[in-house]
Amino acid sequence: MAEKPEPVHVLYCQMCGLPAEYCEFGPDFEKCKPWLIQNAPDLYPDLLKEANDKQAEKVADQLQAVGISSSGDGGGAREGQADSSGSNAASKPEEVKRLPGGKIKKKDKQEVVIEKIVRNKRKSITVVKGLDLFGVKLSDASKKLGKKFATGASIVKGPTEKEQIDVQGDISYDIVEFITETWREVPESAIFFIEDGRKVPAA
Amino acid sequence: MFKKFTLEDISAQNQVKASVQRKIRQSIVDEYPSLEPLMDDLLPKKSPLIVAKCQNHLNLVSVNNVPLFFNIRDGPYMPTLRLLHQYPNIMKKLQVDRGAVKFVLSGANIMCPGLTSPGGALDDEVEEETPVAIMAEGKQHALAIGFTKMSAKNIRAINKGIGVDNMHYLNDGLWKV
Repeated sequence: MAEKPEPVHVLYCQMCGLPAEYCEFGPDFEKCKPWLIQNAPDLYPDLLKEANDKQAEKVADQLQAVGISSSGDGGGAREGQADSSGSNAASKPEEVKRLPGGKIKKKDKQEVVIEKIVRNKRKSITVVKGLDLFGVKLSDASKKLGKKFATGASIVKGPTEKEQIDVQGDISYDIVEFITETWREVPESAIFFIEDGRKVPAA
Repeated sequence: MFKKFTLEDISAQNQVKASVQRKIRQSIVDEYPSLEPLMDDLLPKKSPLIVAKCQNHLNLVSVNNVPLFFNIRDGPYMPTLRLLHQYPNIMKKLQVDRGAVKFVLSGANIMCPGLTSPGGALDDEVEEETPVAIMAEGKQHALAIGFTKMSAKNIRAINKGIGVDNMHYLNDGLWKV
Protein backbone atom coordinates (compact mmCIF):
# COMPACT_ATOMS: atom_id res chain seq x y z
CA MET A 1 0.00 0.00 0.00
CA ALA A 2 2.86 2.29 0.81
CA GLU A 3 4.07 2.07 -2.73
CA LYS A 4 2.59 4.44 -5.21
CA PRO A 5 1.14 2.72 -8.21
CA GLU A 6 2.34 4.40 -11.35
CA PRO A 7 -0.28 5.81 -13.64
CA VAL A 8 -0.76 3.59 -16.63
CA HIS A 9 -0.23 5.29 -19.89
CA VAL A 10 -3.11 4.54 -22.16
CA LEU A 11 -2.88 4.98 -25.87
CA TYR A 12 -5.85 6.96 -27.08
CA CYS A 13 -6.79 7.06 -30.70
CA GLN A 14 -6.49 10.53 -32.10
CA MET A 15 -9.38 10.01 -34.41
CA CYS A 16 -12.11 8.89 -32.09
CA GLY A 17 -10.57 9.51 -28.68
CA LEU A 18 -11.13 5.99 -27.48
CA PRO A 19 -8.36 3.76 -26.23
CA ALA A 20 -6.84 2.28 -29.34
CA GLU A 21 -8.15 -1.17 -28.64
CA TYR A 22 -11.74 0.05 -28.68
CA CYS A 23 -11.52 1.74 -32.04
CA GLU A 24 -13.20 -1.20 -33.64
CA PHE A 25 -16.29 -0.42 -31.60
CA GLY A 26 -15.94 3.30 -32.10
CA PRO A 27 -18.05 5.57 -34.23
CA ASP A 28 -15.88 5.34 -37.28
CA PHE A 29 -13.44 2.50 -37.39
CA GLU A 30 -12.54 3.11 -41.01
CA LYS A 31 -11.18 6.52 -40.24
CA CYS A 32 -9.15 5.24 -37.34
CA LYS A 33 -7.48 2.60 -39.41
CA PRO A 34 -4.63 4.63 -40.87
CA TRP A 35 -3.78 5.98 -37.48
CA LEU A 36 -3.96 2.56 -35.92
CA ILE A 37 -1.64 1.06 -38.47
CA GLN A 38 0.92 3.67 -37.64
CA ASN A 39 0.57 3.83 -33.90
CA ALA A 40 -0.76 0.57 -32.65
CA PRO A 41 0.05 -2.06 -35.22
CA ASP A 42 0.19 -4.87 -32.72
CA LEU A 43 -3.41 -4.38 -31.59
CA TYR A 44 -4.93 -5.22 -34.92
CA PRO A 45 -2.67 -7.65 -36.76
CA ASP A 46 -5.30 -8.12 -39.42
CA LEU A 47 -5.24 -4.47 -40.30
CA LEU A 48 -1.53 -4.44 -40.79
CA LYS A 49 -1.77 -7.35 -43.12
CA GLU A 50 -4.49 -5.64 -45.05
CA ALA A 51 -2.47 -2.48 -45.33
CA ASN A 52 0.60 -4.37 -46.43
CA ASP A 53 -1.39 -6.13 -49.07
CA LYS A 54 -2.73 -2.85 -50.30
CA GLN A 55 0.67 -1.31 -50.39
CA ALA A 56 2.09 -4.25 -52.23
CA GLU A 57 -0.69 -3.92 -54.73
CA LYS A 58 -0.03 -0.28 -55.17
CA VAL A 59 3.64 -0.84 -55.73
CA ALA A 60 2.85 -3.53 -58.20
CA ASP A 61 0.45 -1.21 -59.94
CA GLN A 62 3.00 1.48 -60.16
CA LEU A 63 5.59 -0.87 -61.48
CA GLN A 64 3.18 -2.02 -64.08
CA ALA A 65 2.27 1.51 -64.98
CA VAL A 66 5.87 2.43 -65.46
CA GLY A 67 6.42 -0.67 -67.50
CA ILE A 68 3.51 -0.01 -69.79
CA SER A 69 3.77 3.74 -70.10
CA SER A 70 6.89 3.32 -72.12
CA SER A 71 4.90 1.24 -74.55
CA GLY A 72 2.06 3.65 -75.23
CA ASP A 73 -1.28 5.24 -74.29
CA GLY A 74 -2.64 2.38 -72.16
CA GLY A 75 -0.05 3.22 -69.54
CA GLY A 76 -1.35 6.72 -69.15
CA ALA A 77 -4.70 5.50 -67.86
CA ARG A 78 -3.04 3.15 -65.46
CA GLU A 79 -0.83 5.83 -64.15
CA GLY A 80 -3.81 8.02 -63.55
CA GLN A 81 -5.36 5.28 -61.49
CA ALA A 82 -2.35 4.84 -59.34
CA ASP A 83 -2.21 8.57 -58.83
CA SER A 84 -5.82 8.85 -57.82
CA SER A 85 -5.49 6.10 -55.26
CA GLY A 86 -2.49 7.91 -53.87
CA SER A 87 -4.34 11.17 -53.53
CA ASN A 88 -7.21 9.32 -51.89
CA ALA A 89 -4.97 8.15 -49.15
CA ALA A 90 -3.62 11.64 -48.74
CA SER A 91 -7.01 13.29 -48.53
CA LYS A 92 -8.34 10.87 -45.96
CA PRO A 93 -6.71 12.29 -42.88
CA GLU A 94 -7.77 15.76 -43.91
CA GLU A 95 -11.37 14.75 -44.09
CA VAL A 96 -11.16 13.29 -40.65
CA LYS A 97 -9.70 16.43 -39.27
CA ARG A 98 -12.44 18.50 -40.74
CA LEU A 99 -15.18 16.50 -39.09
CA PRO A 100 -14.40 17.24 -35.48
CA GLY A 101 -13.43 20.75 -36.52
CA GLY A 102 -16.81 21.22 -38.09
CA LYS A 103 -18.49 20.16 -34.91
CA ILE A 104 -16.54 22.63 -32.87
CA LYS A 105 -17.31 25.39 -35.30
CA LYS A 106 -20.97 24.72 -34.96
CA LYS A 107 -20.73 25.30 -31.26
CA ASP A 108 -18.73 28.46 -31.60
CA LYS A 109 -21.26 30.27 -33.70
CA GLN A 110 -20.61 33.92 -33.48
CA GLU A 111 -23.30 35.35 -31.35
CA VAL A 112 -23.70 37.40 -28.26
CA VAL A 113 -26.08 36.04 -25.71
CA ILE A 114 -27.51 38.30 -23.09
CA GLU A 115 -29.17 36.88 -20.06
CA LYS A 116 -30.76 38.56 -17.12
CA ILE A 117 -30.46 36.74 -13.85
CA VAL A 118 -32.57 37.88 -10.98
CA ARG A 119 -30.47 37.78 -7.91
CA ASN A 120 -32.59 39.10 -5.13
CA LYS A 121 -36.08 40.10 -6.18
CA ARG A 122 -35.26 43.61 -7.25
CA LYS A 123 -31.63 43.08 -7.99
CA SER A 124 -30.39 41.45 -11.09
CA ILE A 125 -27.29 40.71 -13.04
CA THR A 126 -26.97 40.90 -16.78
CA VAL A 127 -24.67 38.29 -18.23
CA VAL A 128 -23.10 38.91 -21.61
CA LYS A 129 -21.67 35.85 -23.28
CA GLY A 130 -19.81 35.47 -26.50
CA LEU A 131 -18.33 38.91 -27.01
CA ASP A 132 -14.91 37.33 -27.27
CA LEU A 133 -16.03 35.45 -30.36
CA PHE A 134 -16.05 38.75 -32.19
CA GLY A 135 -12.51 39.48 -31.19
CA VAL A 136 -13.52 41.93 -28.50
CA LYS A 137 -11.19 42.15 -25.59
CA LEU A 138 -13.25 41.22 -22.58
CA SER A 139 -11.31 43.30 -20.12
CA ASP A 140 -11.89 46.36 -22.26
CA ALA A 141 -15.49 45.46 -22.75
CA SER A 142 -16.20 45.07 -19.07
CA LYS A 143 -14.60 48.40 -18.34
CA LYS A 144 -16.66 50.11 -20.97
CA LEU A 145 -19.84 48.47 -19.82
CA GLY A 146 -19.13 49.43 -16.26
CA LYS A 147 -18.48 53.01 -17.21
CA LYS A 148 -21.50 53.32 -19.40
CA PHE A 149 -23.96 51.88 -16.93
CA ALA A 150 -22.16 53.06 -13.83
CA THR A 151 -22.18 49.65 -12.27
CA GLY A 152 -19.80 46.86 -11.55
CA ALA A 153 -18.90 44.75 -14.53
CA SER A 154 -16.57 41.86 -14.18
CA ILE A 155 -15.24 39.02 -16.22
CA VAL A 156 -16.35 35.73 -14.85
CA LYS A 157 -15.39 32.27 -15.89
CA GLY A 158 -18.53 30.62 -17.06
CA PRO A 159 -19.41 26.99 -16.68
CA THR A 160 -17.74 25.89 -19.86
CA GLU A 161 -14.36 27.47 -19.43
CA LYS A 162 -15.67 30.39 -21.41
CA GLU A 163 -15.43 33.83 -20.09
CA GLN A 164 -18.43 36.03 -19.77
CA ILE A 165 -19.10 39.47 -18.46
CA ASP A 166 -21.36 39.95 -15.50
CA VAL A 167 -22.83 43.39 -15.22
CA GLN A 168 -24.68 44.39 -12.12
CA GLY A 169 -28.19 45.58 -12.61
CA ASP A 170 -30.70 45.07 -15.34
CA ILE A 171 -29.26 46.76 -18.36
CA SER A 172 -30.88 44.62 -20.99
CA TYR A 173 -32.88 47.62 -22.24
CA ASP A 174 -30.00 49.44 -23.82
CA ILE A 175 -27.19 47.03 -23.91
CA VAL A 176 -27.99 45.99 -27.45
CA GLU A 177 -27.62 49.49 -28.73
CA PHE A 178 -24.47 49.96 -26.75
CA ILE A 179 -22.88 46.81 -28.09
CA THR A 180 -23.70 47.51 -31.69
CA GLU A 181 -22.46 51.05 -31.38
CA THR A 182 -19.21 50.40 -29.57
CA TRP A 183 -18.26 47.31 -31.50
CA ARG A 184 -19.26 47.78 -35.06
CA GLU A 185 -18.25 44.26 -35.94
CA VAL A 186 -21.10 42.84 -33.88
CA PRO A 187 -24.28 42.87 -35.95
CA GLU A 188 -27.57 43.30 -34.21
CA SER A 189 -28.77 40.06 -35.70
CA ALA A 190 -26.13 38.17 -33.76
CA ILE A 191 -27.39 39.35 -30.41
CA PHE A 192 -29.79 37.16 -28.53
CA PHE A 193 -31.68 37.42 -25.31
CA ILE A 194 -32.52 34.52 -23.14
CA GLU A 195 -36.09 34.72 -21.97
CA ASP A 196 -37.64 31.90 -20.01
CA GLY A 197 -34.82 29.66 -21.11
CA ARG A 198 -35.44 30.39 -24.76
CA LYS A 199 -33.26 32.29 -27.12
CA VAL A 200 -34.94 35.34 -28.54
CA PRO A 201 -33.23 37.48 -31.15
CA ALA A 202 -32.79 41.02 -29.96
CA ALA A 203 -33.46 42.65 -33.27
CA MET B 1 -26.59 8.26 -17.58
CA PHE B 2 -24.08 10.38 -19.38
CA LYS B 3 -25.38 9.55 -22.78
CA LYS B 4 -26.38 13.08 -23.58
CA PHE B 5 -24.20 14.88 -21.15
CA THR B 6 -22.65 18.14 -22.26
CA LEU B 7 -20.99 21.00 -20.51
CA GLU B 8 -24.20 22.94 -20.75
CA ASP B 9 -25.81 20.50 -18.38
CA ILE B 10 -23.72 21.80 -15.56
CA SER B 11 -26.11 23.96 -13.64
CA ALA B 12 -23.73 25.31 -11.04
CA GLN B 13 -20.16 24.89 -10.19
CA ASN B 14 -18.31 26.17 -7.23
CA GLN B 15 -15.13 25.83 -5.43
CA VAL B 16 -15.90 23.96 -2.28
CA LYS B 17 -15.00 24.71 1.27
CA ALA B 18 -12.01 23.01 2.78
CA SER B 19 -14.23 21.02 5.07
CA VAL B 20 -16.32 19.72 2.21
CA GLN B 21 -13.15 19.02 0.33
CA ARG B 22 -11.90 16.94 3.20
CA LYS B 23 -15.15 15.04 3.31
CA ILE B 24 -14.99 14.26 -0.38
CA ARG B 25 -11.42 13.08 -0.07
CA GLN B 26 -12.32 10.93 2.86
CA SER B 27 -15.20 9.26 1.14
CA ILE B 28 -13.13 8.61 -1.95
CA VAL B 29 -10.41 7.03 0.12
CA ASP B 30 -12.97 4.95 1.95
CA GLU B 31 -14.35 3.72 -1.31
CA TYR B 32 -11.00 3.10 -2.98
CA PRO B 33 -8.39 2.40 -0.31
CA SER B 34 -5.73 1.73 -2.90
CA LEU B 35 -6.00 5.29 -4.07
CA GLU B 36 -4.86 6.65 -0.77
CA PRO B 37 -1.19 7.17 -1.61
CA LEU B 38 -2.29 8.90 -4.77
CA MET B 39 -4.73 11.31 -3.29
CA ASP B 40 -2.23 14.10 -3.01
CA ASP B 41 -1.49 13.80 -6.71
CA LEU B 42 -5.08 13.54 -7.75
CA LEU B 43 -6.62 16.14 -5.54
CA PRO B 44 -3.77 18.37 -4.51
CA LYS B 45 -4.51 20.24 -1.33
CA LYS B 46 -3.34 23.48 -2.84
CA SER B 47 -5.28 23.63 -6.04
CA PRO B 48 -8.96 24.36 -5.73
CA LEU B 49 -11.40 21.52 -5.88
CA ILE B 50 -14.42 22.29 -7.94
CA VAL B 51 -17.71 20.55 -7.60
CA ALA B 52 -20.03 20.93 -10.52
CA LYS B 53 -23.66 20.23 -9.97
CA CYS B 54 -25.60 18.87 -12.86
CA GLN B 55 -29.08 17.65 -13.48
CA ASN B 56 -30.34 14.48 -11.87
CA HIS B 57 -28.52 15.18 -8.63
CA LEU B 58 -25.24 14.51 -10.27
CA ASN B 59 -22.02 15.94 -8.92
CA LEU B 60 -18.73 16.12 -10.72
CA VAL B 61 -15.55 16.58 -8.77
CA SER B 62 -12.92 18.22 -10.88
CA VAL B 63 -9.48 19.66 -10.47
CA ASN B 64 -8.04 22.01 -13.05
CA ASN B 65 -11.14 21.52 -15.11
CA VAL B 66 -10.56 17.82 -15.46
CA PRO B 67 -13.43 15.81 -14.07
CA LEU B 68 -12.06 13.10 -11.84
CA PHE B 69 -14.97 11.72 -9.90
CA PHE B 70 -18.71 11.79 -10.03
CA ASN B 71 -21.52 10.74 -7.79
CA ILE B 72 -25.25 10.76 -7.66
CA ARG B 73 -27.15 12.16 -4.75
CA ASP B 74 -25.14 10.98 -1.79
CA GLY B 75 -23.99 7.82 -3.50
CA PRO B 76 -20.44 6.62 -3.68
CA TYR B 77 -17.91 8.54 -5.68
CA MET B 78 -16.88 6.89 -8.89
CA PRO B 79 -13.83 7.72 -10.93
CA THR B 80 -14.17 8.81 -14.52
CA LEU B 81 -12.89 6.39 -17.10
CA ARG B 82 -9.88 8.48 -17.94
CA LEU B 83 -8.80 8.27 -14.35
CA LEU B 84 -9.61 4.61 -14.14
CA HIS B 85 -7.49 3.93 -17.20
CA GLN B 86 -4.55 5.42 -15.42
CA TYR B 87 -5.08 3.47 -12.25
CA PRO B 88 -6.96 0.39 -13.35
CA ASN B 89 -6.60 -1.51 -10.11
CA ILE B 90 -8.53 0.75 -7.83
CA MET B 91 -11.87 -0.87 -8.49
CA LYS B 92 -13.23 -4.35 -8.57
CA LYS B 93 -13.53 -5.58 -12.07
CA LEU B 94 -16.17 -7.44 -13.95
CA GLN B 95 -15.62 -8.62 -17.46
CA VAL B 96 -18.17 -8.92 -20.22
CA ASP B 97 -17.90 -11.02 -23.32
CA ARG B 98 -17.15 -9.61 -26.72
CA GLY B 99 -20.69 -9.67 -27.89
CA ALA B 100 -21.76 -7.29 -25.17
CA VAL B 101 -19.17 -4.62 -25.88
CA LYS B 102 -21.12 -3.01 -28.65
CA PHE B 103 -24.18 -2.57 -26.51
CA VAL B 104 -22.36 -1.39 -23.47
CA LEU B 105 -20.65 1.25 -25.57
CA SER B 106 -23.97 2.56 -26.65
CA GLY B 107 -25.10 2.85 -23.09
CA ALA B 108 -26.90 -0.38 -22.31
CA ASN B 109 -26.90 -1.77 -18.82
CA ILE B 110 -24.91 -4.91 -18.33
CA MET B 111 -27.02 -8.01 -18.37
CA CYS B 112 -26.14 -11.05 -16.36
CA PRO B 113 -25.57 -13.49 -19.22
CA GLY B 114 -22.82 -11.28 -20.62
CA LEU B 115 -20.95 -11.61 -17.36
CA THR B 116 -21.44 -15.32 -16.82
CA SER B 117 -20.69 -16.50 -20.34
CA PRO B 118 -17.25 -17.96 -21.13
CA GLY B 119 -15.98 -14.57 -22.26
CA GLY B 120 -17.02 -12.88 -19.06
CA ALA B 121 -15.52 -12.92 -15.62
CA LEU B 122 -16.92 -12.21 -12.21
CA ASP B 123 -15.23 -11.22 -9.03
CA ASP B 124 -17.09 -13.16 -6.40
CA GLU B 125 -16.44 -10.60 -3.73
CA VAL B 126 -18.53 -7.98 -5.43
CA GLU B 127 -21.59 -7.09 -3.43
CA GLU B 128 -24.66 -5.37 -4.73
CA GLU B 129 -24.74 -1.61 -5.01
CA THR B 130 -21.04 -1.15 -5.45
CA PRO B 131 -19.23 0.65 -8.21
CA VAL B 132 -17.27 -1.65 -10.48
CA ALA B 133 -15.12 -1.36 -13.55
CA ILE B 134 -16.43 -3.13 -16.59
CA MET B 135 -13.71 -4.73 -18.65
CA ALA B 136 -14.11 -6.47 -21.96
CA GLU B 137 -12.98 -9.82 -23.19
CA GLY B 138 -9.55 -9.55 -24.75
CA LYS B 139 -9.06 -5.88 -23.88
CA GLN B 140 -6.78 -4.32 -21.35
CA HIS B 141 -8.71 -1.23 -20.47
CA ALA B 142 -12.05 -0.68 -18.90
CA LEU B 143 -14.90 0.28 -21.15
CA ALA B 144 -17.44 1.35 -18.61
CA ILE B 145 -18.10 2.04 -14.99
CA GLY B 146 -21.07 0.38 -13.49
CA PHE B 147 -23.02 0.13 -10.30
CA THR B 148 -24.01 -3.40 -9.42
CA LYS B 149 -27.65 -4.22 -9.00
CA MET B 150 -27.01 -7.72 -7.67
CA SER B 151 -24.14 -9.31 -5.87
CA ALA B 152 -21.81 -11.42 -7.96
CA LYS B 153 -23.27 -14.56 -6.47
CA ASN B 154 -26.74 -13.54 -7.43
CA ILE B 155 -25.64 -12.66 -10.91
CA ARG B 156 -24.35 -16.16 -11.27
CA ALA B 157 -27.40 -17.74 -9.72
CA ILE B 158 -30.13 -15.72 -11.39
CA ASN B 159 -28.32 -15.14 -14.65
CA LYS B 160 -31.07 -13.03 -16.04
CA GLY B 161 -31.79 -9.35 -16.43
CA ILE B 162 -29.75 -6.37 -15.46
CA GLY B 163 -26.71 -7.22 -13.38
CA VAL B 164 -24.93 -3.92 -13.43
CA ASP B 165 -26.19 -0.47 -14.18
CA ASN B 166 -24.10 1.32 -16.73
CA MET B 167 -23.00 4.62 -15.27
CA HIS B 168 -20.33 5.90 -17.53
CA TYR B 169 -18.95 4.34 -20.69
CA LEU B 170 -16.43 5.09 -23.38
CA ASN B 171 -17.45 7.83 -25.74
CA ASP B 172 -20.42 9.00 -23.75
CA GLY B 173 -20.99 12.60 -22.85
CA LEU B 174 -18.73 12.67 -19.84
CA TRP B 175 -15.94 10.94 -21.71
CA LYS B 176 -15.96 13.63 -24.34
CA VAL B 177 -15.84 16.47 -21.87
